[in-house]
Amino acid sequence: MTNKAQLSKAQVSRESFGRMIWKRTLGGVGVKLALTWVGILVIAAVFAPFLANSMPLIMSKDGEVSMPVLRYLDTEDAAVLAAFVTLIGLWLLPMHLKLRSWLMWIVGVTAAVAVLASLMLKPPQLIIYDDFRTAAYTEVDWRLMPPIPYAPTDYLRDQRALPLQAPSIQHWLGTEENGGDVLSRMIHASRIALSIGIVATSIAMVIGVIIGGFMGYFSGLVDMIGMRLVEVFESIPTLFLLLTFVAFFGRSLYMMMIIIGVTSWSGYARYIRAEFLKLRKQDYVQAAVASGLPLRSILFRHMLPNGVAPLLVAMSFGVAAAILAEATLSFLGLGLVDAPSWGQMLNQAVKSATFNWWMAVFPGGAIFMTVFAYTLIGEAFRDAIDPTLARATGVN
Amino acid sequence: MLTYLVRRLLLMIPTLLGITIVVFAVMALSPGGVGAQLATETMDMKPQERQAIMDYYNKRYGLDQPAPVQYLRWLNNVSPIGFTVNNDGSLGTFSFTKGMDLGDSFHYGRPVSDILAERIPITLLLNVITIPLIYVLAIAIGVKAATDRGGRFDVGSSVIMLALWAIPTMLAGVLLLGFFANVQQWHWFPTAGIGSRAAQDMPFMPHWGSLWDVGLLFLGVILGTGLAVWLSRWDEVKKRALVSGGVGALIGLWMAAAHAEHVWFNWIALPVLGAAIGYGLGKMPSFAWRVATLGIIGTGMGIVLATQLMGPGFVRGFLFDRIWHLVLPIICLSYGGFAALAKLTRTSLLENLSSDYARTARAKGLSDKDVLWKHVFRNSLLPLITVTAGLLPSLLSGSLIVENIFSINGMGQLAVEAVKSRDREMVLSITWISGFLTLVGYLIADLLYTLVDPRVSYD
Repeated sequence: MTNKAQLSKAQVSRESFGRMIWKRTLGGVGVKLALTWVGILVIAAVFAPFLANSMPLIMSKDGEVSMPVLRYLDTEDAAVLAAFVTLIGLWLLPMHLKLRSWLMWIVGVTAAVAVLASLMLKPPQLIIYDDFRTAAYTEVDWRLMPPIPYAPTDYLRDQRALPLQAPSIQHWLGTEENGGDVLSRMIHASRIALSIGIVATSIAMVIGVIIGGFMGYFSGLVDMIGMRLVEVFESIPTLFLLLTFVAFFGRSLYMMMIIIGVTSWSGYARYIRAEFLKLRKQDYVQAAVASGLPLRSILFRHMLPNGVAPLLVAMSFGVAAAILAEATLSFLGLGLVDAPSWGQMLNQAVKSATFNWWMAVFPGGAIFMTVFAYTLIGEAFRDAIDPTLARATGVN
Repeated sequence: MLTYLVRRLLLMIPTLLGITIVVFAVMALSPGGVGAQLATETMDMKPQERQAIMDYYNKRYGLDQPAPVQYLRWLNNVSPIGFTVNNDGSLGTFSFTKGMDLGDSFHYGRPVSDILAERIPITLLLNVITIPLIYVLAIAIGVKAATDRGGRFDVGSSVIMLALWAIPTMLAGVLLLGFFANVQQWHWFPTAGIGSRAAQDMPFMPHWGSLWDVGLLFLGVILGTGLAVWLSRWDEVKKRALVSGGVGALIGLWMAAAHAEHVWFNWIALPVLGAAIGYGLGKMPSFAWRVATLGIIGTGMGIVLATQLMGPGFVRGFLFDRIWHLVLPIICLSYGGFAALAKLTRTSLLENLSSDYARTARAKGLSDKDVLWKHVFRNSLLPLITVTAGLLPSLLSGSLIVENIFSINGMGQLAVEAVKSRDREMVLSITWISGFLTLVGYLIADLLYTLVDPRVSYD
């Protein structure tokens, strides 16, 4: 208490709590590196078709300038680009929006662009990559190729090069058993990893918060039934539950997101339940109940904001776990069928007759770095919001 | 205590029911249902044969009935008390002694219980070796890191533990298998399985061609360990570090020479790495740690040297063969849990070391050692015990990956196969058994709690 008296008014920080947490999180070197890695991944995922593709980005032939890469963009590419541009735009523009309007903007613009793109964009069904190495594309006035001039599913059939080449000048990270470029496949796979990580965790969190919120708020019978449900989902080894879900349902990207989300909500539910059990007898909650607010408002506008910071920590760890889950499923041969993913590339490394280190080290390293980065961010964030450390900054 | 135990055991029943209902619902809701796989597997049979098989399964498992009825039938078969089932598939009388029937595997065509009886011991063997290993190593490193707070060992081990924790099991497995069990690289360990076929005919213990070979091995171990311990006792830090760094460089050179191909990168990187590790180990200020690490390396080198000089006539024996096969899978299975537990031990010890009772003990004039081992240590074990419960499911999941990589025919491998072939009986049985093991793990953790902390009681 003497501490408090010594603090003059000028010394008490006037920053908002959120900004302070953010500053404290960014303090360490490790977190900065981790955020940089995640940033690189985001860039790679968003601009994948422009970073690694077989067709020229822009070329001029007989005085006519064309951009072949745009012709082959599909709806997914357009939606991802739209979401990214909206996010950057909202961040840079001097608008002070609430979290909810942020989300509405991003989702709205992305959905609109996706619908437009699915109507307007008609990428060819069958792409013959060999064509891009014929005279029609090579004998031009000038052209600009992507930094990695190979598409992920371009198996270089015309080049007669042997598959499974070690890293070289042409293929920076080597080629896999069909002859595809490993780096190109990794860049396109980062999109799967990131999107599954974020979407699956969001699904898990929404389910967990709703179930946990009801359990904590109503307690009694609802709580008992809910806890049994949580226990059920906790005592089946997650990986096994995932395997069952994936094997018996389809294996599309969106199905995988839902499945990973549906199998990993129990931790969030447990946490929110404990928090709400504490909060439900608080005066301000009782006041909200007494003034006749609807249940939705009591739960999510009054109670939830008090427990949201640790939830974000859990989310950071959750993203790491979801990325790992997807990689493991792909590794066990139950992942996506046609699209390249890091886990599936690692599986290829084991299943091939000879051990080719570049097929194990690079995709495996990418999984490791991503999981490590999200873990570091989560740890730093947890340390930042730890109330025992808050004393040092004059908060209490 | 007994009532508590009975209540906990009874509470397991709804959870187990819930687990099987969830998994059964997933299977029943999936497109094509359980029968889809059966229909494709019997594709190449004659129509009558196919019909006969379908009829048999329909009668035995009621596959043509609605899903809830199918589930109840399965439940009746599995539960130790229930209705007996007649040969034509109809229910008989209620009986308390009919026993459990896990059904037949659709895929293997054998009783599920027989297959499980072959597979479960292998997975349990892996886990039974792993768990104590994890705990011993984690507690040793955690205690050392906590007593050396902020020091070089603490910071270094924290970073390494965090990195180890983040390495996916599959990456570690693939790399270990690729580098240390591969003819192209170092073929030191076997590639697959947990025992070679030849070991079936060997005696249990290893034996040697002549007494001279045994003597040689003995001499190697004594000499290697003795030299290493003598080195670690040397007082002059600089010389000690230089000597052990030199030994490390020698080991690195030997590894480069032992590689199947002549790679120039190995000839540079490995000796440098070996020298750095040796130098670091020699520089360690803690005497006990120096003796332990250098001693183990010395013993290993002695054994390797002795085996190089030995004559023929050495038979590995069943035990040695098994150990040799288990080295890589166990490393793979243990490093992740070990890293997590070491971090947990460290934080828990630090929390207790800065608490009031530890300060009181220190103020009484007790030595740091007494404060640590007699006062703080036991209290710091509590969070470790809490995570034991979660350790078992994660190890089961881990052995799923490890068994897949190292082609070990355990329960994890079986689970993947069963799920891929939509083997209903097998999937359900594996699910409830692993769920049951997990619940037992929780129960054991709670009981251990009372042992370590007398304040907790469940009566």
